[in-house]
Amino acid sequence: MPKYLCLQRSLPPGEGAPTKPSPAEMQAMYEKFNAWRERFQERIVDLGGKLGAGRLGLPDPAPDGPLVEVKEIVGGYMILSADSLDAAIEIARACPGLVRPGSGVEVIEIHAPG
Amino acid sequence: MTDALDANFFRHAYARLVATLVRRMGARHCEAIEDAVQSALLAAVETWPRGAVPDDPSAWLYRVAHNHLVGDLRRGARRGELLAAHAAGAPPAVTDAPAAQLAGDLGDDQLQMIFVCCDDAIPIESQLVLSLKTLCGFDVREIAERLFITEANVYKRLGRARARLRELPLLDAELTAAELASRLGAVHAVLYTLFTEGHLSSHAEGAIRRELCQEAVRLTTFLSGHAVGTTPETHALLALMHLHSARMPARQNGSGGLLLLEEQDRSLWDRDHIERGLFWLARAAEGEVFSRYHAEAGVAAEHCLAPSFAETRWDRVISCYELLERLAPSPLHTLNRAVAVAEHRGPALGLAVLEARAAPAWLADGYSWSAVLSDLHRRAGHSEAATQHRDVALGAAPSAAIRDALARRLR
Repeated sequence: MPKYLCLQRSLPPGEGAPTKPSPAEMQAMYEKFNAWRERFQERIVDLGGKLGAGRLGLPDPAPDGPLVEVKEIVGGYMILSADSLDAAIEIARACPGLVRPGSGVEVIEIHAPG
Repeated sequence: MTDALDANFFRHAYARLVATLVRRMGARHCEAIEDAVQSALLAAVETWPRGAVPDDPSAWLYRVAHNHLVGDLRRGARRGELLAAHAAGAPPAVTDAPAAQLAGDLGDDQLQMIFVCCDDAIPIESQLVLSLKTLCGFDVREIAERLFITEANVYKRLGRARARLRELPLLDAELTAAELASRLGAVHAVLYTLFTEGHLSSHAEGAIRRELCQEAVRLTTFLSGHAVGTTPETHALLALMHLHSARMPARQNGSGGLLLLEEQDRSLWDRDHIERGLFWLARAAEGEVFSRYHAEAGVAAEHCLAPSFAETRWDRVISCYELLERLAPSPLHTLNRAVAVAEHRGPALGLAVLEARAAPAWLADGYSWSAVLSDLHRRAGHSEAATQHRDVALGAAPSAAIRDALARRLR
């Protein structure tokens, strides 16, 4: 079954402002995430994690070059298995940790060798 | 594996962490502390489900929140906010507090926080909002929903409380025993208001109301467990909360409509709450103090103990209301006494209680004064006056549930 890389991306401003969830809302997120994890247990290859600061490595060393802060655009990653891209997107979109006001998920197929 | 957490884990963890950090770092940093705690909880939501809940979740949250706060305050310091203070010889606020200040257990932190919120330099409506925010872990939107006020109003009230906290000394020491004692009355008032917002609110839905009452009981129980708070007033307050909570399950019919005391199925009253209420009422009687909370708990106890509406010991209810009127004069208490007098000695004498004084404008606009007048006039056979007051009461009813209950009673 094909695998898919899921990247959490912050949406451009205006497409749902990121909100600070209240403790009660965080509790709901936590419970939803656990329910999601149980429901799609078979499809989750790697629960991944939050991504920290990053930097773009370039062919030429360019200490003063443009540095890409990965953190700015990606909140976290995860690897799922699914029958199709559409199916993977459906699973990822149901994940409360990846999709919430102000962020969406980018799903990319991973081509396995052979 | 699902790591099941208590249903209110995040809200109460928020309250615990804010209390601990406020005690360590000073109440003047309250806002930054709340932000740091919020970030720590969010980090928990993002990382715990991917691995496992840490062995000691509180320690984990504390570490993350503390690091976040120290970073935040250092950035503030770099902007010069604290530099002036350092130059003046004050110790840096950002280092870890000395061990002596950490000696107290978590319970002491939360107790201190209750008293921090009830600073008499903060208006009571702001004390209430600050308490809901920091002691109960509700956010602005949730507070607005629970108090039936606008979010802008919540921000305004919160702003006033925070302005006061920011004025506090850089390293504010523990509140002194004298300060704790002098704020105890304010603490009672805030806990009482928290409970009545839940118990009497005609707007909020049932689940939200129960939540506010549960929070009030939780914090008052907590207060009663500490030397500074274990007073007859605290015990009476706790008694009245339990005795009112006991009757909550019977206050609504199956479709959410309000039921009058007379109509309630007394077998639905919660025996456990009644027992606790009576226990605390007995504790409240130890000592020479008789407060308004004693009087109110006394009324609630009479209702809980009466096998039926008709068998209520109205004479005792009346004397409790008389004491209440003396301790906390309010036309609402007079109104309640009039109802009890009418049950005990007939509608004419009930009306006489009300005729002895005019309803104040703020209450006359409300529905309750007119509703009682209408009811008593009807029972006294004055049908014209009854209809007149009935129309006023129905027109002023704040919710459909109340209007329905009145229409049933006053037809």
